Amino acid sequence: MIMLEVKNLKKSFSSTEVIHDISFSMDEGETVSIIGSSGSGKTTLLRCLNFLETPDGGVIKIRDDVLFDSNAEEPMSEEAARKKRLHFGMVFQSFNLFPQYTALENVTLAPSILAKGYGNPDITSIENRGRELLADMGLSDRMQNYPHELSGGQQQRVAIARALALNPDILCFDEPTSALDPELTGEVLRVIKDLAKNHTTMIIVTHEMSFARDVSDKVIFMDKGVIAEEGTPEEVIDNPKNERTIQFLSNYRNIQ
Amino acid sequence: MFFHVTLTLLGGFLQTVKLFVLTLVFSLPLGLVISFGSMSKISAIKAPVRFVIWVIRGTPLMLQLLVMYYGPGIMFHANVWGSGDSGRFVAALVAFVINYSCYFSEIYRGGIQSIPVGQYEAGKVLGMTKSQIFFKVVLLQVIKRIVPPISNEIITLVKDTSLARVIAVYEIIWEGQSFIKSAGIIWPLFYTGIFYLLFSGLLTILFGQIEKKLSYFR
Repeated sequence: MIMLEVKNLKKSFSSTEVIHDISFSMDEGETVSIIGSSGSGKTTLLRCLNFLETPDGGVIKIRDDVLFDSNAEEPMSEEAARKKRLHFGMVFQSFNLFPQYTALENVTLAPSILAKGYGNPDITSIENRGRELLADMGLSDRMQNYPHELSGGQQQRVAIARALALNPDILCFDEPTSALDPELTGEVLRVIKDLAKNHTTMIIVTHEMSFARDVSDKVIFMDKGVIAEEGTPEEVIDNPKNERTIQFLSNYRNIQ
Repeated sequence: MFFHVTLTLLGGFLQTVKLFVLTLVFSLPLGLVISFGSMSKISAIKAPVRFVIWVIRGTPLMLQLLVMYYGPGIMFHANVWGSGDSGRFVAALVAFVINYSCYFSEIYRGGIQSIPVGQYEAGKVLGMTKSQIFFKVVLLQVIKRIVPPISNEIITLVKDTSLARVIAVYEIIWEGQSFIKSAGIIWPLFYTGIFYLLFSGLLTILFGQIEKKLSYFR
């Protein structure tokens, strides 16, 4: 079943076109990795999906629900954008945990606020769910710690739990391990792999090629704001056909 | 004599503390409003607010006190401050509030703008509204960052209140100085210094406590 459909998405910053006509779709339970060099528009694409940037053109659909359509009569209100964002969860490169809250509070803050908005805050069940999620992340003994007391890998795992707490349809990762020391990337990648095994629908922007190959159902290679190549990891990473993909991947082979 | 001096100085100190407390009560919140104005995306708001901040921070408080007290009467023949001691006190208070709220607004602005954009974005993707993000996520981080510069400014205010004497608000130094003429003694002036030292010492301890309270996060 198709979960996400993106059609003819465009985004420019002043005169620079960062995303130039992107279309793709993904099924429920799929993991899609987006690879490509810096400046190819990967992060901007994720930010458009989360409505951190408003696309200039195109359509974004989740299931049959049109979240964004540049031909719509009225521009999207702040309130509408807020609701639509909840279809997506976002894990940032730099974690962006809230420093004044404990790991558990970071996870439960947004669900508690939302529940209060609906008028029936069941704080106990929100907290139980938060504990459960942190336990899944291997952080049972870190729930009461503040972010500065945690390692980068632990912080990122709290951030993943925080994003999952709102039960998003699609979980987005923006280079989740790029800010981590090499020895800490493993624990984060392992958690993401577990999520993939449980068929969490995910879009992952990453520079970790072997991870992308292992975890993805589909790989998208972006270049200069367009999708230059897409397919299974075997097709795109192991047997690339596009000249730019070959060149991009050869940089990795040279390092490894 | 000592008892008489102490009593007189306490009277002046009461004026000092009154001016100090009332200035803070009004200028701390007003400064926040001004800081939002100075960060406004609408230049019709931002430009005049920044202009006022520039004028207020760029001229002496002493000058502002004189203009505030004498200006309305001489320029517009309007007796806005009322007569006597209370009129002068109100004029001084208004001048202090305007001056300090401009300084506070710049501290707030620095504090708010120093919060990484990622904090706002994290709040947004978690479905929070702008005001929820400000109050639940940003505010405490801002407070933590501005406690040192604000406490600096507040301790300066303790001593700046003495400027109110230029429009004859009988604060503590005025009272201390009066003994030079009436009794030919200087020690009451030193005595006023002790009042200031104790008061600012107390504030230093208080702000140290607040900083410590907020040190549980980074």
